[in-house]
Amino acid sequence: MKISVLILSNVLLAGLLCTHTAWSQPAGEDPQADLFEKHIRPALLKHCLECHSQETETSGGLNLGAREGWQRGGDLGPAIVPGRPDASLLMQALQYDDPDLAMPPEGKLDEMTIAYFRQWIQDGAWDPRTLEKVPDSAPQGLTVEHASQHWAYRQPQPAPPPTDPNASGPVDAWINEALRQANLQPMPPAPIGQLVRRVAFDLTGLPPDPQQLQRIVQAADPKRALRQWVDELLATPAYGETFARHWMDVARYAESITLRGFVLGEAWRYRDYLIRAYASDLGFDQMVRQQIAGDLLEYDSIEDQQWGAIATGFLALGNTNLETQDKVELDFDHIDEQLEVIGNAFLGQTIGCARCHDHKFDPIPTADYYALAAIFRSTVPLTHANLSRWIEKPLPLAGEQAAHYQHLTQRQQQLAEDIKAVEAELGAKNLRRQYPSDQFAGIVIDDQQAKLVGQWSTSDHTAGYVDAGYRHDANQGKGEKTATFEPAGIPPGQYEVRMSYTSATNRADRVHVEVFSADESKVVFVNQRKQPAIDGIWISLGTYRFEENGQAHVMVSNEASSGHVIIDAVQFLPLEQQTSQRERSEASVEETRAEQFAVRLKQLRAEQNDVKKQLEQRPHFLTIAEGTPVEQLEIRLRGLPHQLGKPVSRGFLTAIEPSQYWAQQIDNQQSGRRQLAEWLVDPRNPLIARVYVNRVWTWLMGAGLVTTPNNFGTTGAEPSHPELLDYLAAELIRSQWSTKHVVRLITSSDAYARQTVNDRDPAVQVDPDNRWYWGSHLKRLPVEAIRDAVLVVSGELDTACFGPTIQSRVNNDYDYQHWLPRRSIYQPLFRNSLPPLYDVFDFPNSSVSVGIRARTTVASQSLAMLNHPWLHQQAAAAAERFWQRAGDRSSISQQEWIEVFFMHALGRLPSTQELEIALSYAESPEQFASFIHAVFASIDFRYLP
Amino acid sequence: MHDISSPSELTKSLVRLHRRTLLQGTACGFGALAAGALAQGQAFARPSHPASIGASLHHPARAKRIIFLFMQGGVSQVDSFDYKPELGKRDGQSMPFDDARTLAKSGRRGTPQRLMKSPWRFSQYGDSGRWVSELFPCVGKHVDDLCFLHGMHTNGVAHGPATLFLHCGSTNFVRPSIGSWLYYALGAENDSLPGFVTIGPPRGNGGARNYGNAFLPARFQGMPIGSAGRDALEISCIERAGVSQHQQASQVQLIQRLNQQQLEQHAVHHDEWEAVIQSYETAWRMQQIAPELMDFSSESAQTQAMYGLDRAETQGYGRKCLLARRLCEAGVRFIQVNYGDNSANPAWDQHSNLPKHAEHALAVDQPISALLTDLKARGLLDDTIVWWGGEFGRTPYAQSNGTGRDHNPRGFTVWLAGGGFKPGYAHGETDPFGFTGVRGKVHMHDLHATLLHQLGLDHQRLTYSHAGRDFRLTDVYGRVIKEVLAS
Repeated sequence: MKISVLILSNVLLAGLLCTHTAWSQPAGEDPQADLFEKHIRPALLKHCLECHSQETETSGGLNLGAREGWQRGGDLGPAIVPGRPDASLLMQALQYDDPDLAMPPEGKLDEMTIAYFRQWIQDGAWDPRTLEKVPDSAPQGLTVEHASQHWAYRQPQPAPPPTDPNASGPVDAWINEALRQANLQPMPPAPIGQLVRRVAFDLTGLPPDPQQLQRIVQAADPKRALRQWVDELLATPAYGETFARHWMDVARYAESITLRGFVLGEAWRYRDYLIRAYASDLGFDQMVRQQIAGDLLEYDSIEDQQWGAIATGFLALGNTNLETQDKVELDFDHIDEQLEVIGNAFLGQTIGCARCHDHKFDPIPTADYYALAAIFRSTVPLTHANLSRWIEKPLPLAGEQAAHYQHLTQRQQQLAEDIKAVEAELGAKNLRRQYPSDQFAGIVIDDQQAKLVGQWSTSDHTAGYVDAGYRHDANQGKGEKTATFEPAGIPPGQYEVRMSYTSATNRADRVHVEVFSADESKVVFVNQRKQPAIDGIWISLGTYRFEENGQAHVMVSNEASSGHVIIDAVQFLPLEQQTSQRERSEASVEETRAEQFAVRLKQLRAEQNDVKKQLEQRPHFLTIAEGTPVEQLEIRLRGLPHQLGKPVSRGFLTAIEPSQYWAQQIDNQQSGRRQLAEWLVDPRNPLIARVYVNRVWTWLMGAGLVTTPNNFGTTGAEPSHPELLDYLAAELIRSQWSTKHVVRLITSSDAYARQTVNDRDPAVQVDPDNRWYWGSHLKRLPVEAIRDAVLVVSGELDTACFGPTIQSRVNNDYDYQHWLPRRSIYQPLFRNSLPPLYDVFDFPNSSVSVGIRARTTVASQSLAMLNHPWLHQQAAAAAERFWQRAGDRSSISQQEWIEVFFMHALGRLPSTQELEIALSYAESPEQFASFIHAVFASIDFRYLP
Repeated sequence: MHDISSPSELTKSLVRLHRRTLLQGTACGFGALAAGALAQGQAFARPSHPASIGASLHHPARAKRIIFLFMQGGVSQVDSFDYKPELGKRDGQSMPFDDARTLAKSGRRGTPQRLMKSPWRFSQYGDSGRWVSELFPCVGKHVDDLCFLHGMHTNGVAHGPATLFLHCGSTNFVRPSIGSWLYYALGAENDSLPGFVTIGPPRGNGGARNYGNAFLPARFQGMPIGSAGRDALEISCIERAGVSQHQQASQVQLIQRLNQQQLEQHAVHHDEWEAVIQSYETAWRMQQIAPELMDFSSESAQTQAMYGLDRAETQGYGRKCLLARRLCEAGVRFIQVNYGDNSANPAWDQHSNLPKHAEHALAVDQPISALLTDLKARGLLDDTIVWWGGEFGRTPYAQSNGTGRDHNPRGFTVWLAGGGFKPGYAHGETDPFGFTGVRGKVHMHDLHATLLHQLGLDHQRLTYSHAGRDFRLTDVYGRVIKEVLAS
């Protein structure tokens, strides 16, 4: 075999470790081999194989290290079609035609090399390199067929609890059994006072009322008294508020969008839905149905229908990047966000992993991902524009109200038509030749002040222009001329932007006008053959927001226009001045026979305004809409929205029963959300009840039976007590999905009532993470409870429930001033302006579903505790309150009212030392405030020992 | 070497670290510490864990920290550092371009655009003879220390997506910022200051997400100093106005006395409670250090003038650059110095009125030059990377035929200095008009990978497990650009 030594050594030097290279033809004698060896192989080596070979990462699934590699191709299909360079993906990539498929990444190859590749493929892509074995695909995780190998995909197996005479119920029977097996001695029960405080914060997020506390502590049977008290607490709205907040972590609840700080003004209704649902113990199955498809279900009352529809806000809370310009990409990103949250929240599955490739660990093939995606592709989650927008729909109303608004809507349409007709009547005849710009409100930029590009001709031929004459493009040099109207410094705010021109039949009917505002830019096409609608002078280009130092200009272009393009003036009219503008310009219209038309017009516009305002009163809710059912959706290869693979039908995760049954129920009239909801809550679904009871357990016990509440997949944790988990799941379903039932089961157990684990106990050596619950997990107050407890102590808490709480006229969430003295759950949850203390005290990221909050102890928390002005104010208010309570000093000793303060703040009396310190500070309200502040900052205030 | 890719391992090492500092804390006691800090007016805390770097590296590091000079809005490359004589010659001519915005919106290619020459003159600087426009005469003097990347490209056509991509490597999903990744991987050099600081961050275009920890532990988020649109450089809650040092100290002591009491009263012991007590001590230390860090009176008049603190145009960014140098000395890992504002079309975003670029260049040119000079003089440039750039560049043609330039994610310039990058070097090239990278293209993922590499980190191995997946700054992309590394 004679081969070129030079080439071979090059090949070896370049580090080719290609398997089993065989040269069937000596180079130099065969032109095909010659081409390959001289040009193709070196180029592949130099530019491609670093990523696209079996020895490296086989990027995109493509192996260019062997013939079989490119024949089979990567994710996008075969890389080369021998004989057809134009049909070969490889050529497309090399030619840099498509920015998504341009290779090599460091830059386009030189034209010569590209020409060699073209020739090579044209000639049949001769390639001597072969592989012994092409692996079928990347190593697989758990497959759908073998899903049952993982515990979470198997049906729960109800088992009788171990017999244990000491156990107070099945929960303790299983916990105690495991403790015995681990040879662990449980901690003694917590002191009753501590337990009361624990229950109060766990169920209501508030400190216990000192009198209730005393009543229970002094009861003949404190345990029984506590149990009764649990029932009382479960009946309070505060319970609904606390558990709703737990679910809001999971549902990534927020009231704004990070980018541009858009305010989701109707999101609060979803928050109220959750509070009501938990307070009234709505079945969790129904909560799931409503959050997925509550707008599509049937209800007994209009009120139920309203709340059911509001629940779908769950689907619309994503922190989406509305300005993504590729709207298909935006749609798929949006769907991905929804699927990820649905998977995390209800099933403990990481569905998002399957967007680009089959899930690497769990039985979720990409086909299943797109089967689910097809359901949401059958909905309309956003209305698209340069900046897309979320959907708010009118709330369903009862007959009379519904008719009222229907009437208003019809009237609005009628008015629009009437106004148009009158305006046409007013017509051009009444126009004066010239209108001075200073007669108009706002900022008016005349064509004389515009920045002009290209040749524009001046004219005053047609009447009705602003200031001296107007300009036109002479219907020449299309695409070469622009005029920019830019005010020098525009006060920030909302403006209506208007443009004036003189209309005539020789004008362009589609003039390209672009408005640059704080919200990027918007193109409006203006028909200059038609008379301007407003007073025959102006046409509205829409309403825009301008910012300090932001862009604010209008650019008129003559590109792609046919007919004369006119530029005359642009008006930036502050919204609040719209009315006065009309009056002024109308007054200036000469008193002609058209006067009566003007009066009529004024009346019509007034009524239009009125109707618009009335319609705005109609309540709306945040949701998504049904769309055209997409029965087949193409898989997106590697998750790229424009790379289509094979189509799949709508369906669910095939590994999770009973997906087949419910997929068959999807009809071609609807999106399939109803069936999705039914599949989720079907009692045969092995995951949902387990995932949910594990959450409730986590919220109350401080750590889950499964310690990864959002991940029950193979990379998640195994349950510490599988039988207990299944027992609780069965109890949930048996009790018609009652959350309160599960709460009672847990809080009445001995395991719940133990002292917290002692880090110096020898048991730490055996069970450092306390997975066997030999003591209670040390819980600490979440930031919401710290805040609420401070307000309770200071006496400033407003306990009102429900309703919108965002201050009116808030356009974005930047630098929002939180002032509301209501419970934390009602503070507007703004992603760019969290309420005070939230960011330092581990408030979860509200852009993703969170199963367990982070728990950090960092200096910034202590800095906030030391220096945050709000805490100082509250401490001062509390000092005032308790100082006043002391009131008549003769009847109550200083010590007594310090004790009252301790009961309120810490649910206990002060120790001798604490009392000593307090007394030394209780000399003035200022001093005492300083002491109270220290108590807020202290360990016992912030923890539930 | 501990495995930095596992959060539980990290937690354990933090606990070990915590125990150690706790012991030290107990030895001298809180009172002693507070009194000492008050009496002596504690100087910059010297790096107390110099060993923390190196302990977790994948390979030897060439740099210890990064200063990122963020030019928000997108500087026009063809008006600054990417000289294109051909553009000047063909000013006003119409040519087809694959405009990124048009492409994303409509899929249309090859739309005609009118070329617009740069209004600024270019001249050659330094031994390397790099061309720099008259917008950057001061930075121009440093070209022999700079390493230019002319073939940059990135994801996202609008500011929001591109800005998030620049910081977090994703246009939409919530991911940790590069500063958080570095802090997480390398820890802080100074236990009284966080390892990631952002000076004057803008609130728009992703706002706090651009310095957020996302799913990394909360302590790795960036600490903002000041905010865009305001001159004051403050740390939130670092002090309480109108309260004397003495009152503050006695308040801290009162809290700690109560904490001690409560600790002793409980039958059970919790390490976390000791951590709370410890955190008050750290907070107190920060409170002592921060005002001094922000106080420039110890800087010579000459230094202050060099940074432009004596001129209205330059003092804003000058103060931020000077603070960056001080933070650099104090051992902060990632210092971002923002030049931007809170609007949706920030600073350099000249869709119209391109000449406004001059205003921004004037504000940053001298301060940046001063920072480079200062770092070099103090020997800090050897192990500090200075990274200059925006979220994307701008088009060489006039936007919609007007007076400005639109966004251009397909080709733009970034420069790097120090930290083991080739000085006086230029890598990559755009086409003759400066529109798209044609040679030596470097994607933002690649830049991230390369920066991590210089800090001793392999971007493919720096991972964090979250929601069942291992996440990386560079997702499944990124390659280290070896060509720009000094040997």
